[in-house]
This record gives sequence, structure tokens and C-alpha cells, in this order.
Amino acid sequence: MGFFVFLPLVLPLTSWPIARLAEHHLHPRRAVRLLSWIGVSMAVCSTLALGLLFVVGTAQIPGNPLPDSWSDPEIRTAVPFHEEVGTAAVVGLVTVLTACSRSLRRHLRIRARAQRALAPMPLDSDLVVLPDPEPYAYAVPGVPGRVVVSTAMMDSLDADEQRALLAHERSHLANRHHRYLLAAQLASCVNPFLRPLQKAVGYATERWADEEAAGSVGDRRLTARAVARAALVTRSAVPAPSFAAFAAPGPVPRRVTALLSPALGESWPPPASPAGLAAMVAAAGTAASAVFALNAAVALLLLVKAATPW
Amino acid sequence: MELAGPDPEMGESGDGEEGGRRRRGQGELATEVLTVLHGAPGPVTASWVQEQLGGELAYTTVMTILSRLLAKQAVSRSRVGRAYVWSAAADAAAGLTARRMRRLLDTEPDRDAVLASFVTALTPEDEQLLRSLLNAADPPGSGAGRGGGG
Repeated sequence: MGFFVFLPLVLPLTSWPIARLAEHHLHPRRAVRLLSWIGVSMAVCSTLALGLLFVVGTAQIPGNPLPDSWSDPEIRTAVPFHEEVGTAAVVGLVTVLTACSRSLRRHLRIRARAQRALAPMPLDSDLVVLPDPEPYAYAVPGVPGRVVVSTAMMDSLDADEQRALLAHERSHLANRHHRYLLAAQLASCVNPFLRPLQKAVGYATERWADEEAAGSVGDRRLTARAVARAALVTRSAVPAPSFAAFAAPGPVPRRVTALLSPALGESWPPPASPAGLAAMVAAAGTAASAVFALNAAVALLLLVKAATPW
Repeated sequence: MELAGPDPEMGESGDGEEGGRRRRGQGELATEVLTVLHGAPGPVTASWVQEQLGGELAYTTVMTILSRLLAKQAVSRSRVGRAYVWSAAADAAAGLTARRMRRLLDTEPDRDAVLASFVTALTPEDEQLLRSLLNAADPPGSGAGRGGGG
């Protein structure tokens, strides 16, 4: 195991082009699935690599479970990264695991709280309309999944737009978008280079639900109007974050623009197009991550075996 | 509907039936009692409610809370034999849920990765852009009355 063990930590950078291009060149359903898979695979490989470096790092700690001959000079030359890298890996792995467990706990806590809040409502419908002067609409995953809409949100849309909104939220539940969101979130906790991928997955799930809503109400323009109206009433209730006041348009105008344009086909982009190339780069990066991580794992196993006297 | 307002959190100080209980607050107790009533199979007696709450509240405390909820029309009661049975008013369930949902939304800023929201907040630039997109999408005049409602 040489310097290759570090590659799974930086290869997530190969996912950046596809995370950027997916929005305009992939059907959102394909984008969500592809990006989630890439993200999870790279996160696993990255954690494995970090774990291996962690093992090497702990070799210096007395009482570690590694064989005594571990610190033989031959082994030391075979495992070149002892102290600094090992220590960094220990810190890194602990940080990563803490961040992941915190993220997971928060996810479960919010779900549980939302389900508890909804417990008094009768189960005869998956739609819960709550008397609230603040406009909001959420899909609450669980058994059963529910769509929660405030009266203020309902009042700001006409009947057709309401149908589009409900179809959008039901699509989130039916397609279990929260799982993709959680997977992408955990992946970006594991390796910060996967953050753009997480953002792309978040946006693509919204687009996926928009497309399904448009299909279900049979009108893209109507769906675009519903999204835009809902966002405009939401804005007046929630002040926009001040730091976001530059450059590119936010997700809502991009979603509306996408709905006002013709639908993207389900087919994959041709291999020679930028999106096709980006997808291949990301796939190659994922494969390489897996190869290097596994290679390093096997090398370490063999090394430990060779260093074990029995 | 009235329940959706701040009042069920009940600012009034408790009567102090049990000194140790006061730090939980009357509002919280009222919420617990309402939750029990919403989960009940039908109209139930006050002692059933008391049991469901784990028996840690005195019967008189439960009665006090129920009477207050009755005054707020959050619950209704009817006489069966010699006892009263209580049930939650239909609107109260929605009001209670709305309050809890609001508390969740107010206290969990990172909820959007869990609860998929229909839309996210807009920057002023986004808002401009969105209005021009709406105008381009709609035949002029047809949606002008509502888009600016916010």
C-alpha cells in the first residue's frame, strides 16, 4: 500500500462535472439515482481508505490489537505513513463518524417529531391541512407518509395549482426521496468533496417531483405556476438569507424555467457530449476508488498476516 | 381554529395543586391531555385519561385541565350514567398538530433534507426573476391579481 491509498479520498473530485451538468442534461430520475450511487460508493471507499490509514496510525499506540512485530523495520518501510498521517487519519475518522452519526440522529429525530406532531390527525387521508397563517408544504416520510400543507399555502393557490402541489409532494413520498437525500447527506459528511453531489441530488429530487406532478396534472405550465406562486408567498413570510445575494439564480427560478421548457428525454446523453463524458469520468473515478480502496485493504491484510508470527 | 393561536400554551399560572408539577407548565399538561383524548378509542372518563397519563397526576388536576379545555371548546363532554365522558373537539386536533408542526419548523433549521419542502426561500433577485418568468408564462393580466399577493 503506497500513496494509492490516498486516492479514494480525493477521487470524489471526479464527480464534480456530472454534479454540475446533470441538471441540464439528465432526466431528474436518472440524475438522482446515478448521483446517489456515485456518492454512496465513493463515500464507502473513502471511509475504507481512511479506516486503513487509521489502522496504520494506531500502530504506534501501545496495546493496539496489531501483532508486536508490526513495528519491525521491514514493516515500517512497507507502511510508509506512520505518525503524522496516522494521527491525521485517526482525527479524520473520528470526525467523519461523529458527523455521520449526528446527521443520522438529526434525520431520525426530525422524522419522529413530525410523525408525533401528526399523530392526532385521522389516518383516512394522506393529506393533512393545518390551520396556520404561515405558508408551507412538506412531505413527511414514515408509515404512512403524509403531505402536510398549511391553510395559508392552500389559500394562495387555485384548485389546479393545489393539485400540482399535492402531486409534487406525493411523488416525494412514493419515490422515497428522503432516502436519497439521507444517503447523499451522509456521503457528504464522510467526504466534503461530495458536497456538490449532495446539492445536485437535493435539486434533482425536486425536479423529479416537479416532472411527476406535471405528468399527473398534465400541464407543465400549470405546475410551473404553482411552484412560482408558492415560492412568492413563502418569500414574504421567511426572509431570504442575506449571503445568497449574488450570482446564479436559486433553485426555485431554475425549477420554473425547467418546467417552462420542453421535458428532458429519459435517454442517456451520448458518450461524446459533455454530460456523457462527465458521467464516464465520475464512473471511472468511482471504479478507481473501489479498486484502490480494496487493493489497500488486501495489502494491509497480507501485511498483518505476514507480520503475525503464527 | 382559535386553538391555533398562542393561547393554549396558557399563560395563566397553575392553581398549584402539586408544587413539583408546576415547572412542566399548564400548557404542556393541557397538550398531553389533548393528545390522550385524540388517541382515545371514543369518549372516555377523566380517570381513564388520568391512567393514560401514567397516574402521576392527581385526579383533580386532570379534572381542572379538562374543565379549562372545555371552556376553550377544545374538548366536549357528555353524561353517561353518573359520570362525564370527554372527547376532543375535531378542530382541536388540527390546532394541536399545527402548533406542534410550527414548533418543529421553528426549532429545526436543517429540516429540509428530511422533510421535502415544496419551495425554498427566495432572494430578492430570485423573486424578480420569478415574477418575470410568471409574466412570460401567463397570458398578460390573467394572473396579475394573485402573484403580487405576498
